[in-house]
Amino acid sequence: MHARKVMRTAQRSAPPRKRGIRWGDVIAPYLFISPFIVSFLALFVGPAAYSLVLSFFRYKGYGAATFVGLANYKAILGYHVFWTELGNTIFYWLGHVFILMVCSFLLAVLVRSKLIVWKSFFKPILFLPNILATVATALVFQSLFGTQYGVINNLLGTHIPWLQDMGLARWVVVVLLIWHGIGWWFVIFLAGLTTISPEVEEAALVDGASAWQRLRFVTLPLMRNTFLFAFVIDAINSFRIFNQPNVLVSRAGSMAPTEMAPLLNLLLGELQSARFGPSAAVGWILFVMVAVVSFIQFRMARGTQPEEVE
Amino acid sequence: MGAQTHPTPTRVAARPLPIRRQAAFVAANSLLVLFATLALYPLFMMVLNSFKSDSEILSNPSGLPVEWTLASYRAIFQYHGGLWLNFVNSVIVSSTSTICATFLAAMAAFAFAKYQFRGRDLIFTLLLATMMVPGEITVPPLYILFAKLHWLNTYQGLIVPTVTSVFGLFMMRQYMYSIPTALLEAARIDGASHWQLFWRIMLPTSAPVLGAFAILHFMGVWNSYLWPLVVTTEQRIQPIMVVLPNLTDPVIGFMPVWSTIMAGCVLATLPVVLVFVAFQDRFMSGVVVGAVKG
Repeated sequence: MHARKVMRTAQRSAPPRKRGIRWGDVIAPYLFISPFIVSFLALFVGPAAYSLVLSFFRYKGYGAATFVGLANYKAILGYHVFWTELGNTIFYWLGHVFILMVCSFLLAVLVRSKLIVWKSFFKPILFLPNILATVATALVFQSLFGTQYGVINNLLGTHIPWLQDMGLARWVVVVLLIWHGIGWWFVIFLAGLTTISPEVEEAALVDGASAWQRLRFVTLPLMRNTFLFAFVIDAINSFRIFNQPNVLVSRAGSMAPTEMAPLLNLLLGELQSARFGPSAAVGWILFVMVAVVSFIQFRMARGTQPEEVE
Repeated sequence: MGAQTHPTPTRVAARPLPIRRQAAFVAANSLLVLFATLALYPLFMMVLNSFKSDSEILSNPSGLPVEWTLASYRAIFQYHGGLWLNFVNSVIVSSTSTICATFLAAMAAFAFAKYQFRGRDLIFTLLLATMMVPGEITVPPLYILFAKLHWLNTYQGLIVPTVTSVFGLFMMRQYMYSIPTALLEAARIDGASHWQLFWRIMLPTSAPVLGAFAILHFMGVWNSYLWPLVVTTEQRIQPIMVVLPNLTDPVIGFMPVWSTIMAGCVLATLPVVLVFVAFQDRFMSGVVVGAVKG
């Protein structure tokens, strides 16, 4: 709707052939960005600001909102559930991130090397899990890891309660995250590797560097920014994890039990009991954590020697 | 075999022995085959189990179906008044959102890439900075707002929050930046309006990036779960992703019916897989935009 209005305005304001003070030229870019900017303000910036305000109020969705200062934040930080779910979220993040990055990078190096025959065959296959809906893949994993009728227990001839023992189920989430994420970072690392000019590697080769030395002292330092990007983005996404743990143990669409629930469950739970203030506060606590973790990673990347990558 | 076909660098005659190279070759390829198998195995089981009957899936969860049946697919379309409605919902929501998001981002990206204007870099940097803010922050306020607008359980409630994509804006600007400005200037001299520059020149020349973004965005909306869960409570309006985990036995009401769930998963992932197979290069290049340079 917006777009159509701008279309007409842009056409009208476009100057005819004669030259003058061409107001059309001045306002044209603003007309082009305004539909996006207006929608973005209305759908993201505005709600985000409102959410910040809301986090300092008690509001039930009707009637008057009462200012409560930091009470919502204090209440949340006092919940046992908050700390358990924060712990789970951090567990899911740290549990998968290193294995994920090492595997994806290794695969990218292999596919880039001269050793692999069917590169264009492996690339889409490795990427495939990533395009599948997390809900669907979590359901598939639920059926793979079932205790009585699960595929894996059936193959092994065991009755391991993968998803009934919450300690084990948390690891199944990690496996799912790694399985789902490898393709994405593999493609990113592969693209990063192709930006390294072949001359650099050839020079190292001529100097007699072994494959390991080339990887360690040439490739890794040059991939530093890609790694930083990967770790930061993965951390941000990890703090927002929701689908996998919940769907993996869901029965008839219920949410995961606290022992394995991620932090967003608290936001949703507060929202569904119409406690909008605390719900918004959880969101902002999440934001602060994302910001802190990203900042630390940027500092670590800057603080390390050029050849040290994470 | 492939190892010998590559030219051996001149000075490494004393270094990797052919045997070692061959061992490395075998090891590398086996490792890749292993990872590819692990990547495909769950999907393979998903498809296989969707062709089993619900009783066979319990007695034979890991093997090939003894009796191939389409019962689960029939069940999908009969379940609780027909899940096809939920597929249609997913299609409507994802495609509308993709069209709007692509259009909004393309217009803005064009201006950011090809115009000089006051505040351009500042606005662009601020927009990029918001990518750090988790979108879930807007869930409580949007819920309140949509409840007041009576947008809960409506298509607009599902679609509207997804139509602005800063990632898309960034991705498209990067691409449009590389399109020669001379092309636009020539058209300008010929009397093209600003809108015509965008519509006739910029959009067609940026088709690859628009396609890449559209695919990624469609997939994102199709696969989304948290927001649809919040904003819809009635099954008639829910996208398929929200319904899938709820497929329980209509009689017992608590046990999941695995063959039907697997059939649902196959159908829910099939469109995305087909699009991926058709446009895999565009797909994967979309992923990379901004990652390597940024």
